[in-house]
Amino acid sequence: MAYSFEQHKIVGAIAADDDYWRGLEDGVFKLPRCDRCKTWTWPAHFRCGHCGSWDFEWVALEPKGKIFTWTRTQYAFDRVLERKEDVPYVTIVAEIPEANGARVMGLLKGDESGLRIGADVRGTIDPPSAKSKFYPSIRWNIER
Amino acid sequence: MSKFRGAAAIVGIGQTPYYKRATSPEPEVKLALRAITAAADDAGIDVRDINGFVSYASERSDPAKLMPALGTREVKFASLVWFHGGGLPATLNIATAAIMAGQADVVAVYRSMAESSSQRLRVIVAQNDTSSQYLVNGLDSPAQILALRAQRMMEFHGVPQSALYATVQASYYHAKNNPRAYGRNTEMSAEIYNNARMISEPYRLFDCSRENDAAGCVLVVSAERAKDLKQKPAYILSAPMGTMEGGGALEENWRPYYATAGQTELAERMWRESGYGPKDVDVAQIYMNMNSMGIGAMLDHGFFAMEDAGAFCTFDNLTAPSGKLPINTSGGDLGEGFIHGFGLVPEAVRQVRGTSPNQVPGAKLSLVTGGPGDLMSSTALLGSEETL
Repeated sequence: MAYSFEQHKIVGAIAADDDYWRGLEDGVFKLPRCDRCKTWTWPAHFRCGHCGSWDFEWVALEPKGKIFTWTRTQYAFDRVLERKEDVPYVTIVAEIPEANGARVMGLLKGDESGLRIGADVRGTIDPPSAKSKFYPSIRWNIER
Repeated sequence: MSKFRGAAAIVGIGQTPYYKRATSPEPEVKLALRAITAAADDAGIDVRDINGFVSYASERSDPAKLMPALGTREVKFASLVWFHGGGLPATLNIATAAIMAGQADVVAVYRSMAESSSQRLRVIVAQNDTSSQYLVNGLDSPAQILALRAQRMMEFHGVPQSALYATVQASYYHAKNNPRAYGRNTEMSAEIYNNARMISEPYRLFDCSRENDAAGCVLVVSAERAKDLKQKPAYILSAPMGTMEGGGALEENWRPYYATAGQTELAERMWRESGYGPKDVDVAQIYMNMNSMGIGAMLDHGFFAMEDAGAFCTFDNLTAPSGKLPINTSGGDLGEGFIHGFGLVPEAVRQVRGTSPNQVPGAKLSLVTGGPGDLMSSTALLGSEETL
């Protein structure tokens, strides 16, 4: 099966995270860990800067984290106009303790109450849609 | 003693007017030509003798386009500093290195932007290298990405909104005295600031830099040559560029520190190379893509500690002529205008010359910091002859 995001590839950055998006499209939250020295490498890259290994294991994790920071976008910006009708929307950067504090971005899902740095969040996966540029996405729900 | 320190000086400055974005009557290349010729006139240098060209980020007025119209005798050196506004003071590093290595004699450092010739500033500066992790999650603009850092600085580290407002107040106060400032007629008060629309929380409209069409240029020559020219030289004492370990293209995963500008190590190198420290600085042009990031730059440079940010960042402390650290004395990126921060460099030079619209009396050491929070950044200390 062809993955949606592969048909709509966002190019230009490091883009070593294809397995992250594949994972989400398959319904699994995965982050990369060096196969040799076990260092979590996030954002994903092609070589482990610690030990020099080129091999990573994409580890399935429970999508549980803590809010590291967040912003509420109040304006429809040029390259994310797909979300125009959703303004204002909240994007959260969540720290994943299980992955040595790797920080993973995602939109808030559900009620905003309890939105603060340090709050516990749990991820759910949204399938690819026009709003997420035909990529799958993790959405963070605040745990209460 | 570093060989770099004081080896070169800025001897000419040139700027076009700031136009509202997308309204420049002239295209980008023509604006660049105007700024470069103005800088040559200011220095008393024949524009045809400029043989080095240095810019940064997404600059498109490259020397190949400029040289036929400048009558350039020979291009001997041309270079672009990587990334975004972080590259601003690093241009002075490259220019100085080229001169020290005998690769160029007169180097034009410049930046030109006109939306009609390219794209909207906030889009072109991203150079299509924004990762999917941002774009999929509704984040495009530096305003949003830096808002994440501001939220951390304010909510987690406790820097108060009053500190952000003080930078806005100081910028617009200085802009009023600067006939070049695009924001010189903008009234500013706590009420106006607080009632302005939110852009990306915690940033309100006036926390953000402007977007303008304009061009600017400064000319760099060797210290020896600088002595015989028209203007009082502004010597380049230090202009380090770089990124610390644990930084780089890490998408909000910067370690070991996050909410400030990523300039701590740069500043330490600059103080070491120049032989000066934060207490010695007379006046500072602080890059403010967003104002909390500028506060982060001041923190990283050691002007105050995180817990003192609210007490330090007050209107009185940040304004000329007698504040503890007058900043952005032309109005800066918030009040004067914004072409990727470039206006900060000529203003830092004017302070050394004694010709700023908001002059700090007797200013000798003049700081200019690069784009805070950029993937790579830089910072520069300029000084008068007595600081050498």
